[in-house]
Amino acid sequence: MQQLTEQQEARYKEFKEFVASNVAPYAEQWDREQMVPDLALSLMAQAGYFGATVPLDLGGQGWDVVTFGLLNDAFGSESSALTGFVTVQAMVSTILLKWSTSEQKRKWLPPIAKGDTIAAFALTEPEAGSDIQSVSTELRPEGQHFVLNGHKKWISCSTKASMFLVFGKLRNQAVVCIVPREARGVSVKPIVDLMGFRGAGLAEVLLHNVEVDPDNIVGKPGFGLSHIAPVGLQFGRISTACSALGLLRGCLEESISYAAERRIGNRTIGDIGMVRSLIARMGTSHEAASLLCYHACKAHDDNLPTAFERTLMAKYFTSQAAVSAASDAVQIRGASGCHGSSRVSRYYRDAKIMEIIEGTTQIHESILGKILVDQVQRLK
Amino acid sequence: MSTQQELHIKQTVRGFLLSSINVPGLKDEENLFEMGLVNSLFAVQLMTFIEKTFSLEVETEDLDIDNFKSLNATTQFVMRKTGNQSL
Repeated sequence: MQQLTEQQEARYKEFKEFVASNVAPYAEQWDREQMVPDLALSLMAQAGYFGATVPLDLGGQGWDVVTFGLLNDAFGSESSALTGFVTVQAMVSTILLKWSTSEQKRKWLPPIAKGDTIAAFALTEPEAGSDIQSVSTELRPEGQHFVLNGHKKWISCSTKASMFLVFGKLRNQAVVCIVPREARGVSVKPIVDLMGFRGAGLAEVLLHNVEVDPDNIVGKPGFGLSHIAPVGLQFGRISTACSALGLLRGCLEESISYAAERRIGNRTIGDIGMVRSLIARMGTSHEAASLLCYHACKAHDDNLPTAFERTLMAKYFTSQAAVSAASDAVQIRGASGCHGSSRVSRYYRDAKIMEIIEGTTQIHESILGKILVDQVQRLK
Repeated sequence: MSTQQELHIKQTVRGFLLSSINVPGLKDEENLFEMGLVNSLFAVQLMTFIEKTFSLEVETEDLDIDNFKSLNATTQFVMRKTGNQSL
């Protein structure tokens, strides 16, 4: 990213060193086994990465959003699965920070920040993906508490999660509640054989007559989808954009190295014009994506309303650029890039997921198009 | 004092609304949500704008559609949160 402060530069270097030592040597194995080991999560927790955006007085790092973006960029170059964990902890933490009571903050944020509690963001359902208004999970009052029933699907981190932030309806009003994993009636069914993000712990979460204490309701019923979810989803988009940026960087670095070393006869493939074209396109996309991601993160740090559209643009552009770069990186590698053990084949599979999670490319186009058309008065 | 302040707040909020939604003749009492002029993303953008511009924090107890449903409602909400009372 651009225009970083000395402190941001230093942290970025630290993140990349952590990834080089603790992630890069094992990422292929985790992808193959479709699981990230607890030790990897524990090392990330010790480094404070799960509390990146949580304030210091609640046990977190209190980093700015630009630094959070750099963290995702660093991990994105090696393991999209691990950025999934970083993303979701930030999404849940941000919502709790903004909308929970002081008691809820004290109870849940320190353990999330320290990695003692892995949280999951349980919004998506089999029939409610991009159209979040369609959630059918239902909370109903019963005596002194509520009873929760529903079916969540494609929920990242679920296999490791010890708490779920669940979105549903209460008397047809959108509501958010905290559900501990150990609550009776909660069951988790891992989703295997995904194309990408294979270690991100995706699962179905089944909620059958789960008793929810009123103290575990977050925010106010009626605002779950209009004001509460968007705060978390926004961080999801930032994280995905910056993770895709890291993946794009990985494609570029891998392609440059290979092009400079791989020889055909008495010249390297980097001497071939068509390979140079692919790398030039990749490098330019990386520069453009880097600027978009930086400006989105900085707008958040400055608390600007434009942060939302900038983040949409950053995610929209970078995820597509990552897909294109991963495809070209495989092309440059040739046959060796087609094997499942190659870094670029993992990039290729993970990149496509970036275009789908946190709002598909087409949903982004629809929202962004409307935002821009509605700004017509600015032209006058 | 309060009237001047109220006018300033209303003009500031109106400027933001008109830069974001295509309703040049927006009336002070028009319900933004019932008219389908805004979506949930805009609701959060508006919240962020007033938090930043008027140095206040929208808290859980402020989550009431009556606080943000129109230009007048948002102005009155900002007045209350910043300790000003409408005359």
